[in-house]
Formats: sequence, structure tokens, C-alpha cells
Amino acid sequence: MKDNKKIFILTEVILAALVLFLVAVILWEKVGDDRVRVSVVVQDPDDGQWSAFKYGLKMAAEDLGIDLSIVSTGGALTARELEELIQYETDNGADGIILQPVPGSGQSDIEQFSEKIKKKIKKKVPILLAGAGPSRIFPTIGPDDRQMGIALAGELLGDQAGNTTEKVLGILSEYTDPEGVSDREQGFLDGVRDAGVQIRWSVSSRDRKEREEPLGSLPEVDIVVALDDVSLRMAGEYAAAKELHGALVYGIGHSTQAVYYLDTDIVQCLIVPDGFDAGYQGLTEIARSMGHPFHKMKDRTVSHTVLRRDTLFTEENQEIIFTMSQ
Amino acid sequence: MGTRHFKGIQSTIMAAFSVTSLSILLIMGIVMYLRFSASARQEMIAGTQKLMEQAGEDLEDYLIGMRRVSDAVYYNVIKENDLSSQDQDIQRGMNLLYEANRDDLRSIAVYNDYGSLLAAEPVAWQKEDPDITQQDWYERAMGEMENMHFSAPHIQNLFDDASFRYYWVISLSRVVELTDKGTSRLGVLLVDMDYSSIARMMRQINVAGSGQYYYLCDSNGTIIYHTRQMQISKGLAAENSRRAAAYKDGVYDEVFNGERRKVVVNTISYTGWKLVGVIPYQAFTSGMFNLRYFIAIFMLLIAMMLVFVNRIVAVRISRPILKLDASILEYEAGEKPAIYIGGSQEIRHLGVSVQNSYEQIDQLMKEIVREQNERRKSEMDALQSQINPHFLYNALDSITWMVEGERNDDAVFMISELARFFRISLSKGRTVISIKDELQHAKSYLNIQKVRHKDTFSVAFDVDPAVSACCTVKLVLQPILENAINYGVAGMDDCGEIRIVGKERDGRIFLSVIDNGMGMPEEEAGSLLTDDSRVPKRGSGVGLINVNKRIQVLFGKGYGLTVISEPDEGTEVIICIPAVPYTEENRKILEKGRLFGREGAQGMEEIK
Repeated sequence: MKDNKKIFILTEVILAALVLFLVAVILWEKVGDDRVRVSVVVQDPDDGQWSAFKYGLKMAAEDLGIDLSIVSTGGALTARELEELIQYETDNGADGIILQPVPGSGQSDIEQFSEKIKKKIKKKVPILLAGAGPSRIFPTIGPDDRQMGIALAGELLGDQAGNTTEKVLGILSEYTDPEGVSDREQGFLDGVRDAGVQIRWSVSSRDRKEREEPLGSLPEVDIVVALDDVSLRMAGEYAAAKELHGALVYGIGHSTQAVYYLDTDIVQCLIVPDGFDAGYQGLTEIARSMGHPFHKMKDRTVSHTVLRRDTLFTEENQEIIFTMSQ
Repeated sequence: MGTRHFKGIQSTIMAAFSVTSLSILLIMGIVMYLRFSASARQEMIAGTQKLMEQAGEDLEDYLIGMRRVSDAVYYNVIKENDLSSQDQDIQRGMNLLYEANRDDLRSIAVYNDYGSLLAAEPVAWQKEDPDITQQDWYERAMGEMENMHFSAPHIQNLFDDASFRYYWVISLSRVVELTDKGTSRLGVLLVDMDYSSIARMMRQINVAGSGQYYYLCDSNGTIIYHTRQMQISKGLAAENSRRAAAYKDGVYDEVFNGERRKVVVNTISYTGWKLVGVIPYQAFTSGMFNLRYFIAIFMLLIAMMLVFVNRIVAVRISRPILKLDASILEYEAGEKPAIYIGGSQEIRHLGVSVQNSYEQIDQLMKEIVREQNERRKSEMDALQSQINPHFLYNALDSITWMVEGERNDDAVFMISELARFFRISLSKGRTVISIKDELQHAKSYLNIQKVRHKDTFSVAFDVDPAVSACCTVKLVLQPILENAINYGVAGMDDCGEIRIVGKERDGRIFLSVIDNGMGMPEEEAGSLLTDDSRVPKRGSGVGLINVNKRIQVLFGKGYGLTVISEPDEGTEVIICIPAVPYTEENRKILEKGRLFGREGAQGMEEIK
């Protein structure tokens, strides 16, 4: 009789435990519905150069069920402001961060900055650097800058059909010192090294702006090579205004303005890094890291495309422009 | 005891009820889940179809609107005016239509058969050498002049936009007949629809989260809108649009990239475009994820309730049985509890039956004890009767008197008979003797009594020789003869007669003691063998009762004495005993008393 009672009580207890377990699972599921949030901190995110990148992020976020928060910076930030912003984001529930380091910093500055960020963030949050060169501290996503420089040089030399010995070049970049731009420049210089071209100047547009020195005041060159989107747009503006002394413009860019200059024959050749892929792959990598605590994020390189005016509206290239137009 | 617990009625009932009810519950749960899931699936598909019908209608309305714009431009503006002289009217007409539909339109343009722009709205600079004739929409219009053509989405590559923007459009192109300086010539009317209008419509029905999605493709399977369009272009995702384009309207099952899914296809009129709804089977199950849990919780709660109810039912059914069992166990353990009588009618009946059985057993036990006591008492009585001092005194007085009268032979005879009488009375302590000895005992007694009563009565023996070789309880004749002498023939003058008759009939032996004394009334004769003291009887009657009981104790209730008497005629006392041959073995069996009750009857059968 006592055994019967024990079995009865035990059965009821087991069934009650199962009910509680299932209720807990349902509640946990509801709590678990809170999606992870990834914050994206890039300089001036509303600028057209980030369109494809943001579109890639958005598509990845939809595919992976991630809440994406692109932090509006309202312009360029200092390293300190950036640190505080990252701190604020992590304190407010960001589960991952895609970060563009402060432009204008040298590689050592980036490493130092990364180190500082790593120490400052108490919560274990995966951080991926975008638009920066390789880093020892955090994984990075972006194009192969050196290869883009080499590709640009190859296109330029190809257009000149070997007649380059008398050509004078000016190299324009937004910043002179970050690793990414210097890699592009190095790649370009390596590409044209044996072509006999003369590099008359290589300047930072920001430095030039600060000195209030118009681009047209620089010594006359045959070809202006712009190594980033901001520089290319500036060169395009000057060329469109015919203030570039008839210099041909080659460059690397990823905005519709850059495409427009190619479309209107102001820019001869445009190398476009795959911003969509950078955004998509970057968020995928960070999501993978969040889903698997032991997953170690890796550096990822995205491809680039050479755009020419005559092939600008092929089906493949239209898709590139489509991502920039979002 | 352990086995007893496992096989207890309560456990059995509880287990049987629980297994049955839980099995039914499980089956019901599965059926309910399958029913709900099938229903939910059907509802989801029906909902998708309904949504797609609505979206399809919206798309058709939109496309019809664009066709109407194209028709209006052609029939009301271009056909009505000459390009050379009425270009302002054409521009104004196009402007009116553009402004009326500017939310959905990107541009309206008219090209001649060389690909030169004739008019456009909004007014914009055409790009340098856009090579119109090589563009897909132009080629298709000129290729099939009788039709209107909807292109796939593409970037508009016609006008110079100083804001550096590139628009994604769907081109509606058709060949038109132009009038230029009175001469008719062909041209192409292009209406560029803003892709964002279609994208907006599609986004409205594509709600993220369920896994279900909708896309739009043309009749070749080229994707017009897809939530993952760019991923598909880049090979990060794939879509089975070519196959969907081949489907007719309806619902299809397909497996794509290892994923089972339902595909709902709805064709958009005029364009041949297919609006495709994709419901992965995972979406069905993810929608039912909570339903599974809720059904599981519901079933568990029902199971808890059933176990509880089963327990109550099992306890209520088994409690009376267990109580009955417990009372029987106590009884078996030697206690004397009241047997439990309660519960349902059947169990109550069982309790009553068990109680009756136990009462009967008790009664029988008491009876056995009483019979044994009586037997002991009767044996004591027999012994007492054997040593009747009065009888011995009279016998010895008679012998004395004979010796004094020098009747030595009579004295010797008397002493011999007395010695024989006592020898048989003692019989080495045996209870069972042969009838021959019993008759001898009776003869000795009668011979002594005849001397005592101076031969005032005669004695006759008429016994079958076969009867003498059978068994009897010893000293059954002597008390009867004593009664016959004392109350029958004692007062008679030389005419008294006592006859002892022995016969065997139907396996029974009948020994009768018949006297011709004064007899007695029938009721008095009937009361001689009872203990009823209210009825007057001769003497105490104890002797006859004793004999009767001893016979019945040894041979069973079917045997004993019968008294037949009639006043002034005499009395006959009949001893009825079974005809058991006198052997040492039979004697021992009878001595052991194995013939009591049912065993007695059985033993009698064995002996026979």
C-alpha cells in the first residue's frame, strides 16, 4: 500500500516536473526570441561610399536574424570619441561590433587603439575591423588593398599601350598614413615601377584641405590616380570643372558619384571593392563567432571589380551599381 | 510479501487504468497534433494563396496602370499630334500624364526608329551616346511590334542625372506610329516604371521571421524581385525560379537544395510574370513549435489528472477487498476479528460468505470438541456402569446364598458367569468387540439376573451366526437388558420373556431386545433417547441415551437405537450398527475414531 502511494506520488512529481520543464522551455524560447544586436561604427555612415557595405550588412542581418544598429556618428570622430561610443554600445546591449578605426591613424595607432578597446570592454564582445589594414588584435574584413593598387596600375598601363615613359602622375589619397591606403599606393607603385612613369606628387587630400590648397594648384600632371573614394570624387569634381589641366583620372572608389564620373567619361577606370560582400561576410563572420563561443574569427578579404565605361551596364556591373544605390 | 505488493489488486487496477488511459491520451494527443498541424498547414497555404491573390491583383493593377499610361501617351498624345509642328503639345501631354503618375514612374520617352530621343518627361539631358538601339527594351519592342514588352529590372541608362543617382527601373516599351511633318514613321514609346514601387509591394507581403517568402520572376525564371536577390546574384543563395516559371498556377511540393517546401504560384496577367510564394516545411513546424509544447503540457496535465483519478478509483475499488483481505489475514494469524463486510454488493457478498464459512467452521470445531467430550463422558459412563456396585453386591449375595444352601454347582455357575461378565466388560480396555462377545456378555448378565430374579422370566436368543462375526461397541446390550428386566419383565409372574434377535440386512446389523413387559406409550418411547427431562420416562433413561450416543459417535448419525413400544404389549429396542466384519485391523480403525463425521462415512465405505 505504501509502495503504491510512493509510486503514485513519484509519478505525479515526475509529470509535474515535466510540465514545469516545458513551461520553462516555452518561457526560455520567448526570452530567447530576443535577437542579438550588432552595432556598426563607421565614420560618417550616411556617406554614399558606405551604401553597398550597409546593404550587405542589412541583407546578412535579415538572413541571420540579427538586429543591426548602424551608429550615426554625424561626422568624423576622434579616437577618444570612438572609444566612448564603443563603450556606450556594448553597455547598451551590443553583442558584436563592426568598427572602422579612426581614419588618419597609422598602423601602430590602430593597434594601440585596438588594444585600448579590448581592455576597456569588460563584456566579451566580438569586434571586427572594417576599412582598416591587417590587425594583430582584431580580425578585419576588406579588400586586398595591394592587389587593387596593382590592378589600377595594370589598367592604367594597359590604356597607355606602353607609351608611359613620358607620363607624369599625381597620386591622391584621403589619408597618407593608414595601412590600407599605403598598401594600395605600394601596390600601384609596384605595378608601374617598370613602366617608367614619373610620380610628380603624392598628397593627402585632407592635409591639402587643411592647408586650403586647391587640387588645381598642384603641379600639372598627365594622370591623377585617386586611391580612395573621397579622393576620386574630389578628382572627379575638379576634372568635371576642367580644373585638372586635362589630366586623366584613374581611381578606386565605391560610390555612385564615382560611377557617375566613369559613366560621363571623367574617370577612365574605376576599381570597385565589393562593399556588399564586405558587409555581408563581415556580419556573417561576427554572427558565427557569437553563435560559437570557441569560433575564432578570421581575416576576410573581399574581391574587387574593374569598371570601364563601355561595360558599365552589363548585368554583373548593374548589380554592383545596384548595391551602391541602396 | 514483495510479490504480494507487485501483484496487489490496487497496483493492478492502477496500472491497468493508467496504461489504458495514458495510451488513449497519447493516441489522442498524436491525432490532435496531426489534425492541428494539418489544419494549420492548410490554413497557412490558404493564407498564402489569399495573400498572393491580393498581391497579384495589386501588381496587375499597377501594371494595368502603366499600360494605361502608355496607351494614353500613344493614343491621346503621340497619335494626335505631329512631332514637327506640335512638339509642345506632345511635351505638355506627356508632362500631364507623368505628373499624374510620378509616384510610380521614372520617365516617359519617345524614340524614333534610329534610336534618337524625340521627347521625354521629365525633361532631362540624354547621356552621350547611350546607344538606345542596343538596349534590350528597344530591341524587344522592335522585334515584336504588335506587343507591349515588360523588361527585367535594370538600371536606367538614358539620362544624365547630376545628383549621381542610378535608378532601377522596369521598362514598358512598345512600337508606336509617329507623325513627323505629316509623314508616318515608327518609333518606340518607353515608359520606365520605378522598380521601387514593385519592390515596395513585394516588401509588404514579405514579413521576416516565419521563413516564408515571396518572389517575382518573369516567364523565363529571371528574378524580378527577391528578398535575397543580391545574395542569389553573388551565389550566396539560390532560388528555383526557372522551375517555378514553368509551373502553372497552383500549389506544388518540391525539394530544393535538400529542403522540402511548398511552392504557391500565381501568374500575373499581361506580363507572364510569376508571383511565387515559398513555404519551407520548416516554417510549418516552426509555427507549430509552441503548439507542440502546449499539446505536450496539456497531455501531461491530463495525464496527471488521470493518474490522480485512477488512483482514487483504484483505491475505492480495492479498499474493501484489501480490508477483507486484511481481516482474513488476521483471522488466519489466529486473531478473531469481525470479517469486513462492506464495499460493493459482490464484495459484501464475499465477506458475508467468508464470515459464514468461518462461523460454520467454528461451529463444527465446537461440535467436534463437544462430541469428543461426550465420547469421553460416555466411556466413563460405560466404565461406571461396568462397576455397578449394586449389581455386584446382588450377584455376590446370590452366590453367598447358594453356597450357604450348598448349591455348589449353581454357585460355580454364578461365579463363572460373573467372571465372564467382567472379563468381557473390561475387554483389555477395548471399545470395540465382536458381537459374539457382546452376546456372551449379555448371556452372562442375563444368567446372573435370572438367578437374582429366581427365573421369573425366560430368555431366548435368535441371532444369525453371520452377525456374531461383526464389530460392535461394547456393552450396548447390557443397559437395554437392564431396562427390559427392571421396567419390563421384573414385575411379571413367570411369564416374562426377553428375546434377543440379531439379523443382518442391507449391510446393517439389527440387534433387538424384545420384552413382553408392560410397554409404554409411543411418546414416552420416543423420549427415551432424548435429553428432554420434561417428558416422564422410566428411570433416568441415561443408559439408553448413553448407548445411542456411543453408537453414533463411533459409526455416525445414521446408526443408533430405535425404541418401539406399546402399552401392555411390550417393548422392542433395536440397535442398528453397520455390518463391519470383526478383524483386528477393522477394530483398530474403529478404535482410532476415524469414522467420525464425513471421514466416518468414508471410513465406513473403506471398511465395507
